[in-house]
Amino acid sequence: MIDNFLAGTVALFGDPFSILIFVFGVIGGMLFGAIPGVSMLTLAAILLPFTANFDPAQGVMLFAVIYCTGTYGGAITAILFNIPGAPENAPTAFDGYPMTKNGQSGKAVGAAVLCSAIGGVTSAVIMMMATEPLANWAISNIGPPEIFALVFFGLAVASSVGGRTIWKGWISVLCGLMIATIGQDPVGGINRYNFGFADLAAGIAFVPAILGFFAVSEIFVQAEKKAIGKYVAPELSFDFPTIIELWINKIAVVRSIVVGFFCGILPGIGATLAAFMGYGEAVRWSKNKKEFGKGKLEGVISSETANNAATGAAMIPLLALGLPGGAMTALMVGVFQMHDLEPGPMVFYNSPELIWIVFSAMFYANLSILFIGLIETKTILYLLKIPFQFLAPMILLLSSIGSYIGRGLVLDVMIMFGAGIIGFLLRRSGYSIPGIVLGIILGKIGEQNFAQGMQMVHYDIFEYLSRPICLLLIVAGLLTLLAGVYRAVSFSMK
Amino acid sequence: MNKLKVSHIFETSVWIVIIFVFFAFSFEFDQEIEIYIFGATGWPRTILGILLLVVLGNFFQLYKKGSQEHHGRIGISEDDESISYESFKSVQKLIAILLLPFLYSLSLKPVGFYSATPFFIAFLIMLLGEKRTKWILANTLLIYFLIILLFMVLLNAPLPQGNVSPFYDFSAFMLTINTNLHQYFNF
Repeated sequence: MIDNFLAGTVALFGDPFSILIFVFGVIGGMLFGAIPGVSMLTLAAILLPFTANFDPAQGVMLFAVIYCTGTYGGAITAILFNIPGAPENAPTAFDGYPMTKNGQSGKAVGAAVLCSAIGGVTSAVIMMMATEPLANWAISNIGPPEIFALVFFGLAVASSVGGRTIWKGWISVLCGLMIATIGQDPVGGINRYNFGFADLAAGIAFVPAILGFFAVSEIFVQAEKKAIGKYVAPELSFDFPTIIELWINKIAVVRSIVVGFFCGILPGIGATLAAFMGYGEAVRWSKNKKEFGKGKLEGVISSETANNAATGAAMIPLLALGLPGGAMTALMVGVFQMHDLEPGPMVFYNSPELIWIVFSAMFYANLSILFIGLIETKTILYLLKIPFQFLAPMILLLSSIGSYIGRGLVLDVMIMFGAGIIGFLLRRSGYSIPGIVLGIILGKIGEQNFAQGMQMVHYDIFEYLSRPICLLLIVAGLLTLLAGVYRAVSFSMK
Repeated sequence: MNKLKVSHIFETSVWIVIIFVFFAFSFEFDQEIEIYIFGATGWPRTILGILLLVVLGNFFQLYKKGSQEHHGRIGISEDDESISYESFKSVQKLIAILLLPFLYSLSLKPVGFYSATPFFIAFLIMLLGEKRTKWILANTLLIYFLIILLFMVLLNAPLPQGNVSPFYDFSAFMLTINTNLHQYFNF
C-alpha cells in the first residue's frame, strides 16, 4: 500500500499541471463551499466540460479534491449564516449558528477546520487500506433491500431532528418524500405530478431545493427581522478552540469517524446521512442532551468529522462498484464517462495508477484543509462584517446562478425561490428544513431500492427480513419511530 | 383543554388540502407496471396515507398542548412563531421582499440575466433598508461587476439571455464583450 501511495504522490506532485489542478481544486472547493449560495456542486457542474481536456486521473483527482475541501467549506456558511453549503453541512448549523450568535464563530469554524481534516485524513487512510476488502464485502452483503433498510433507518433518525415537535419532524420528512415523487417513477418511467410542466418530468433537482429551503429561506428570515427592526448582526470572534476543548471531545471524533465512514461506504447514501447520524449519535450518547442546538461545540465536531469521514468512504462504492454515493460522486462518473471509462472493479486492474493518484490527492487535500483552512478562516470570518442589505443580494444571485447552471432551466430558479418562501413559512411554524431536504434526497433512492428489493424477495416480507442487515436496520428504525410515537402521545396526554 | 388557535386549524387544513390534491392527481398516473405490483402510485399513496395520519396526530397535539415544544428536541430553529408586526408597512415590506425574487425569476426568461439583475440588486438593497442613493448605486454596480466577472468572464457559465428585444440584444452585447476579452487575453 505504501509503495502505491508513494507512487501516487510522485505522479501527483511530479507533474506541474497536476499540482496546478490540485491547488485549484483545494482553493476552489473551499471557496465555493464557503460562499453562501453556491456550493462545490456548482463548481463541479461548471468544470465538468473542461475535464475533457485533462487526463482521466487529473479529472477525477480534481473532483475528488473539490469534494474533500468543499465538504469542509460548506461548514463555514452553515456556522456563520445558518446556510449549509451542502446538505451534509446541515447538522453543523444546528450548533454552529447558535455559537456564532453567542459570539463564538471563531471557535466553531476552528473546530470545523480541525475535525474536517481529522475525519478526512483518517477516512482517506482507511480508504487506501480497505477499499478492496470492503468492496468485496459490500458486493456480497449490500443490495437494494439493505439500502432501503438503511434509508428507512436514516429517515427515522432524521425525523427526530429539527422540528419543534416529533409530529412536525415526521411531517417534514414525509413532505420531502412527497416532493421526491415528482418526476418519473424509478421503475416504469411513468410521469408523476408534473402538473403540465414538461421540465418537471425529470423531477425536482435537489440543488435548487437545497438552496431554496436553506439559503433563500434564511435570507427571508433575516429580512423579516430587518423589516420589523429585530435584526442583530452576528458578532465577529477569532477565539479558536483550545486543545483541551478538543481533547474533551475525542470520543465524539472517533464515534463520528466510524459512523461517517460506515454511512459513506453505502452506495446512494453519501455524506448527508453520515452527518445527521454523527450528530444524532452525539446527542444520544451525551449526558447533556439539552445543550445541543444551543451552541455546543460537540455538535459541530460530530457533524463535521462524520461528513468528511464519509468523503473517503464514498469513493469506495464509486471506484469498486461504479455506484455513486451522492451528487458529487455522480458527477465523477461523468468525468469517467467523458474519457470512455466506466468506474467499477475493472478500473483497479486497468488503471491502478489513476486510483492511487486519486487516493493520494484526497489524502493531501484533507491535510491541506488544516493548513489553508486555518489561514483563510480569519479572512472568511470578515464576511460577517458585510452589512446584510449588501450580502443578501449576493447570496440570492449566487443561489440563482447555482440553481440555473445545473440543468439550464429558469424553472429551477423559480422552484428555488418557491422553496424559499415555503421554507420560510414552515420554519416559522416549527417544521424541520433539514428533514424536508433529507426526504427529497433519500426519497428517490429509497423508492428505487424498495422496488428492486421487493422484486428480489418476490414481495415476501419474511424473506426480506431474513436478511440480517435488513432485519437489524428495520427493527432499529421501527423502534425509533415507536419510541417517538410513545413520547409524542404521552406528552399530549399529560 | 382546547388550546387550538385559528392558525393551527389553518395549518392543518392546508396539509389536508395538499394531501387530497396530491391524492386526486395520483389518478392521472394510476397505471400498472408489469414488473412491479405496486405500480406508479403505490409509493406516493403510501406516503400520503402516513402523512395524513401524522397530520392528524399533529392536530391532536395542537388541540391538547398548542404550540408547546417537545422536551429534548434538537436542532430547532429559533424562528419565533410570535414575531409581531407593529405596522402595516412592515408587512408590506416583507411581502415585497418575498415576492421580488420570485418576480426576478419570472423575468429571467424574457428579460435575461444580464438586464434583470442590476434592477433586482438595487430594489432588494432598497427594500432591506438602505436609503442612501449613492450606496445603492455603488453596491449594485459592484455586486453586478463581481458576478459578471466570476461567472461570465472567468467561468464562461451559460446564463439566461432573454428572448425579448432590446434585452436579448443587450445580452448579445455582453457576450460579445466576453468573447473579445477572451480573445484579447488569449484564455
